[in-house]
Amino acid sequence: MSALAHIGGSTSGSAPAAQPTPTKRGKVAYLLLLPGVLWLIVFFVVPLVQLFTVSLQSKFPGYPGYYYRDVNFGNYLTAVVDYWPHFARSLLYAGLATLLAFILAYPLAYAMAFKAGKWRGVMMICVIAPFFTSFILRTIAWRQILSDDGWIASALNALHLLPGGHITETWVAVVAGLTYNFLPFMVLPIYASLERADPKIIEAGGDLYANGLTTFRTVTLPMSMPGVLAGTLLTFIPAAGDYVNAELLGSDISTKMVGNGIESQFFRVVDGYPTAAALSFTLMAAILALVFLYVRKYGTEELL
Amino acid sequence: MAGFREAQGDLVLENVTKSFTTFTAVDDLSLTVPRGSFFALLGPSGCGKTTTLRMVAGLEQPTSGTIRIGNTDLTGSRPYERPVNTVFQSYALFPHLSVRDNVAFGPKRRGVKDALAQADATLSLVQLTHLAGRKPTQLSGGQQQRVAVARALVNHPEVLLLDEPLGALDLKLRREMQVELKRIQTEVGLTFVHVTHDQEEAMTMADTVAVMNLGKIEQMGAPDVLYDLPRTKFVANFLGQSNLMSGHVDDTDGDNVVVSTAQHKLRLRKSRAAAGSGDIAFGVRPEKTRIHNADPGPAAAGNSIGPGTLVDVSFTGVATQYLVDVPEAGRWAVYEQNLDLERIDSRPGDTVWISWDPGHAFGVRP
Ligand SMILES: Nc1ncnc2c1ncn2[C@@H]1O[C@H](COP(=O)(O)OP(=O)(O)O)[C@@H](O)[C@H]1O
Ligand SMILES: [Mg+2]
Repeated sequence: MSALAHIGGSTSGSAPAAQPTPTKRGKVAYLLLLPGVLWLIVFFVVPLVQLFTVSLQSKFPGYPGYYYRDVNFGNYLTAVVDYWPHFARSLLYAGLATLLAFILAYPLAYAMAFKAGKWRGVMMICVIAPFFTSFILRTIAWRQILSDDGWIASALNALHLLPGGHITETWVAVVAGLTYNFLPFMVLPIYASLERADPKIIEAGGDLYANGLTTFRTVTLPMSMPGVLAGTLLTFIPAAGDYVNAELLGSDISTKMVGNGIESQFFRVVDGYPTAAALSFTLMAAILALVFLYVRKYGTEELL
Repeated sequence: MAGFREAQGDLVLENVTKSFTTFTAVDDLSLTVPRGSFFALLGPSGCGKTTTLRMVAGLEQPTSGTIRIGNTDLTGSRPYERPVNTVFQSYALFPHLSVRDNVAFGPKRRGVKDALAQADATLSLVQLTHLAGRKPTQLSGGQQQRVAVARALVNHPEVLLLDEPLGALDLKLRREMQVELKRIQTEVGLTFVHVTHDQEEAMTMADTVAVMNLGKIEQMGAPDVLYDLPRTKFVANFLGQSNLMSGHVDDTDGDNVVVSTAQHKLRLRKSRAAAGSGDIAFGVRPEKTRIHNADPGPAAAGNSIGPGTLVDVSFTGVATQYLVDVPEAGRWAVYEQNLDLERIDSRPGDTVWISWDPGHAFGVRP
C-alpha cells in the first residue's frame, strides 16, 4: 500500500514485483524481500488463518471453555445480530473522528507547509511530541480533562450548555478521544503532500485567473489529495478498531464499539472465543470493503 | 469577472524598484515594450529578470514605481486581475490535471463557454493534440514546455511572459523551440516578454533586446544595433566578445576622436564613442580584426595595434582564433574566417600586429 510511503516509509514490495523475469538483480531483490515476507507469514498470515478457524469452531457441549473444529457460520450470525450496534458505533465514531481530524489537521498542515517559516520545526515537534507519552496515559489524562469537575464540563454546565451534565461517559468524549489520538496520522501525510508541492504551481493558479479561494479549491486541495487519502485511511482504520477510547472515556453500555465487544468476548465471557474471532473478521471485512469503495472513489493512480 | 482589468497597448514600467529585506533586486527600472513585439530581457543569473517578470505578472509588488499596459495602471492589482500570463521557468503544470484540462484551466476560470474547444485549438497550435489526454508527468521536458506555452497562450493575454522557458531543454531542442516560439508569436501577434541568460537566444528571437545587469537595464535596442554598437563594457562582453582597452579622448580629427592608450593613438568615429572627452574604453570585436606578420604601417595608423606576441592559435574549421598578448593592452582575440587559400603561417611566440576597419571600433564608458 503506497499510501503509507507518504510518511517516509519505502514501498519494499513494488519494485521487484514489477520485474517479469528474475534476473540476477531480481534474485537479490527477492532475497531482500525475504525477511519481510517471512515476518508477514509468521506474524500475520498464520495468525489470520488461525483466527479464521477459531471463528468457525463450535462449543463442546458440557465442557465450558472447550471447542471443536467445525464450519459453524452461526458464530458470524451471532456476532452480527448481537453486536450490530457496536459495529454501527465503530464506523460512525471512526467516521466522525476522521472528519474532525481532517478539519483540524488541514489548516494546521497548510500553515506548517506554507506559513510557518522558521517555526515549522517547532510545530512539527508539537505534532509529534505526544507520541513520547503512552497512548493509554494520554487517554486517561483526557478523562481528567473532560471529567465532571474539570473546567470544561463545569464551564459548560454553568452555562447550561451540557444537556446530560457530563462529557465523559458519552459518545462526545469517545469521538474527542479518537480524534485527539489519531490526529498526527492525519496531519503528517497532508503536510508531506503540501510541503512537496511546488509553490510555483499554486502561483500558476493565480496567474490563470483563479482567486485565492478558487486556487485552493482547484489546485492546492487536489494536489494534496494523496496526503488527504493517506491521512483519512491512517485515521479511520485504527479508529474503527479502537477500544481504548470507548473503554476509558465512554460509558459502560451505550458507547461501546466493536473493539470492546471483541475484548469482552475474549477475556470476560466463557466460550466467547469463536464469537470474538467472528467479530474480528467481520470488522476487518467491513473496513476493507469501505476502504476499497473510498479509494475507488477518491483515489489517484499514485495510491492504487 | 470582478476586478479583472481589460487593458490594451504597450507594456510600460516606470521607475520600478523592488527591494527585499537586504537586497535591491530591481533598481529604478524603466522600459517600454511595444504592443505585439517580441521583447527579450537578457542578463546573467541573479540580475533581477525573474523579479521583473513577477512584478509584471502581479506575483510580486514593486517597492516603488508603476506598471501599466496602455493607459491602465496595473500596480497593486492581483495576478488574476491582469491580462498577463506567465510561462514559468519550471513550467508549473498542474500535476493532477490532464494536458487538456491544464490548458483549459484559464478559460474555465474566466467563464469561457467553449473552454475545452479553445484548449484543443491551442494544443493544435503547439502540435500536442495527440497528447491531450495525458498527465504532465507522462510528458518529456520539451512537451511539458509546449503545454506551459499553450496554457498561457490560450487566454490571449495582452502580454505573455516567458521566464527562461527553454533553459531546461537540450541544445537541439532549444534551437527547435526558439524557431517554434518565434513562429507562434508571429502567428498570434501577442506581446512576448522573453527572459533569458542566453545571448544567442535573445538575439535570434527578439525584435528588441534589453540587457540587464545588477537590477538595471544597461542598454536596449535591436539585436544587430546592440551588437554593433555596445554602449557599456558589460554589454560589450555579455553580448558576444570584445577586445577592450582603456584610454583617454584627448583630440579630434575630422569625424573621429583620438583615443590615447598607453602605447597607441587610436581613431574612433565620433558617433561610435560613448564620450566626447575624458576616459573611455576602446573596443573592437574579435571577428572584425585581422592579424599581420609585419607592421601594417602608416596606412593603418590609428586602426591597428602591435607588436604583440602570439600566444595561442586554435583552428575551428570555418575560422581560426588567435590570442595575442599586446604590451599595455592586455590579451586580444582575433577571429579570422578561413577564406584565403594560402594562410600566413603563424605560430605561438611569433611577433604579430592587429588591424581593423576604422568603422568597426567603438568606445564605451570605462
Ligand atoms: N523573495 C526574495 N527574497 C530575497 N531575495 C530575493 C527574493 N527573490 C529574489 N531575490 C534576489 O534577487 C536577485 C534577483 O533574483 P532574480 O530576479 O530571480 O534573478 P534572475 O531571474 O535574473 O536570475 C537575486 O540575487 C535573488 O537572490
Ligand atoms: Mg530567473
